[in-house]
Amino acid sequence: MDNPDPNDGAASDALPAEDALALSPDVLELDPVYEALGHPRWRYLCYTLLEDDEWSLTDLATKVAAWEHGVSAADVTDCQRERVYVSLYHAHVPKLVDEGVITFDETTERITAGEHAEQVLAALRGMGASLDSDQEAHARADE
Amino acid sequence: MSGDSGGSASGDAPGAMDARWSQVAQRHYDPDGDADLTTVIVFAVAEAEGVDPADLTSPPLYECVDAAAIEDAFFGSDVFGASRRGTDTVEFRYIEYLVRIRSDGWVQVYARADADSPE
Repeated sequence: MDNPDPNDGAASDALPAEDALALSPDVLELDPVYEALGHPRWRYLCYTLLEDDEWSLTDLATKVAAWEHGVSAADVTDCQRERVYVSLYHAHVPKLVDEGVITFDETTERITAGEHAEQVLAALRGMGASLDSDQEAHARADE
Repeated sequence: MSGDSGGSASGDAPGAMDARWSQVAQRHYDPDGDADLTTVIVFAVAEAEGVDPADLTSPPLYECVDAAAIEDAFFGSDVFGASRRGTDTVEFRYIEYLVRIRSDGWVQVYARADADSPE
């Protein structure tokens, strides 16, 4: 009710929730795509899903640390891995789970693609070649 | 989703200067360092708790606060000059601790003063 829709004259007493439902699902589904592209680590995690559709959190932390420190996965120190692991576990993974981009099994600590992953991956495929190619190449490299 | 477990905006949330809270750990966050704000917060709370940071798993910090959003607001690349040097603070509750983030980079962890002291 706080934001009456000027195009909604006849049905002005409709509940806000119904207004939201009237939006095209295609529009709503773009939100997680934009969200998931907004942080370098989120894009990196999405690129790794392009390479392989299931990851352990520890392997992902190693891969992200290798990318951010410019070293090979074998040269990532325990300290570097732990800092990234903690950040992924406490912030980045739950964020992407919230957006439906990935799923996370807390018991096995396995990460797989979520219901919105395809849209995000499609967007990344479209822009990766020119904007993010180094990051994508690293994320998809088999180390 | 963030802040609903007790931010400083709420009238009855205890402020860190309240005598019932005493500081038990602090760490400094460096925007140019290789630990992000989430990591610094979790390491500081783990130190207060006396556990390895990797063993501090429940609940994920994300369920209490969006630390990446605070990191952006306080330390993002579009924060310049006086704003960056100021001393704004954000406080939130995580597990039984009160965590205070200062815009000068200090992350301070407080425990209730009437709780059993580890020392």
